[in-house]
Amino acid sequence: MALRSRARSTRLLVVTLVSISLVTITVDYRQGDEGPLAAASEAALVVLTPLQEAVSKVTRPIGNFFSTLIRLPSIRHERDILAERVKVLEAELSTTQADADRLAELEALFQLQSGLGPKVETAAAQVIASGVSNFEWTITIDQGANSGIAEDMAVISSGGLVGHVTRTGPSSSVVQLIIDPDSFVAGRLEVSDQAGLLAGQGTDDLQMSQLPQDAEILPDERVVTAGYRIAGVGQSLYPPNVLIGTVSRVLDEDSATEKFVTVRPAVDFSSLSLVLVVLSRDGQR
Amino acid sequence: MRRVLLLAAAILSALLLQTTIFAEINLLGAKPELMYLITIAFAMLEGPASGAITGFVGGMAQDFLLDAPKGITALTLTLLGYAIGMARQYIVSPSPVLPVVLVALGTFAGVLFYGVVSFLLGQLDSTWLYLLRVAVLSAIYNAILTPLVFPIMRRAAQGSRSRRVVRW
Repeated sequence: MALRSRARSTRLLVVTLVSISLVTITVDYRQGDEGPLAAASEAALVVLTPLQEAVSKVTRPIGNFFSTLIRLPSIRHERDILAERVKVLEAELSTTQADADRLAELEALFQLQSGLGPKVETAAAQVIASGVSNFEWTITIDQGANSGIAEDMAVISSGGLVGHVTRTGPSSSVVQLIIDPDSFVAGRLEVSDQAGLLAGQGTDDLQMSQLPQDAEILPDERVVTAGYRIAGVGQSLYPPNVLIGTVSRVLDEDSATEKFVTVRPAVDFSSLSLVLVVLSRDGQR
Repeated sequence: MRRVLLLAAAILSALLLQTTIFAEINLLGAKPELMYLITIAFAMLEGPASGAITGFVGGMAQDFLLDAPKGITALTLTLLGYAIGMARQYIVSPSPVLPVVLVALGTFAGVLFYGVVSFLLGQLDSTWLYLLRVAVLSAIYNAILTPLVFPIMRRAAQGSRSRRVVRW
């Protein structure tokens, strides 16, 4: 009967598709970053990112409008606080306003670069898309291999550490943010100089572990990248002394050997626009 | 042919919107799952076979944007499309709330399934609580978007359906 054969052919179709999916999962799981699927993944980047750039350009004002609408109450509060601060700052300003302005302009321009050191090469990029999944925290930027960007390069913004490059296409790259649960950053407390490991927690604050039990932690203490280098072995993914965030809470874990701390990231990942990719440190890539 | 174009357009739009405009507008930190929405809509309008194909192609497309192993979303959405398509054949309610309910339930179940499969592959880095939270929030978000998306898809699907006198 036509109906029954239709149901059967549908079932056959579904079984086929499910099998292909399972094979794909297995092949990709075992092959990791090499293999035909990785090439297809790069192809997807090449095809999709120009479209994402175009859409992003058009929709950024719309998205800004809606997110501003939602954040209106807190924005009003922020504005009141800022208005107060502006009054205070204006009062402190001297008559050398013109020179101060020029200096500020130049400093902002070179702020990131000089903060890193004279031997650091960087490439600026614009964020054109965010990750597609609710379980991965990534962004796509509009510079890729053609600009000298390669995997595992650190990415920073004027606010602080953003993440590192995980995939590159010819003219776009995917950056894994430090808030991704798969991300681990070696960091140290700025004042006490104690080092620990910061793990991403998605939308929650980062969690810093492996701090010695007797570590002294000040409230709102800044945490920066540790940027270690082991001669003959290698160096950390991220350059040293880049701001990661500030301590938000000290957790009362019962562990006798280490202390846990949550760190609020310095960068506002939902409004990232311009970033710098660190191409090389000390002339080495 | 028109069906293929419609499918391609829908999947591409879902990917683009999900990664650009909906990056900033999120519900308590969760993004919508537009690919799930598209799949469920197609399954409701065109049946289990179309639902499964939409889910497979859309899922694969979304997988290639992830750093996670490719294929999990494809697996989830293929089964989801098939299930919704089959369920639709047995539910005869003409209620306009039906799409919203099916989208909400389908998204919730789909995201949970995705989480379980990821966990089995050792790829799930979040807690179960987070998974549950994402499943609920994205289901709600998808449900909110359904009244906007579904009528458009229904009109597009009807327009691309071939004119036949007798339909099985």
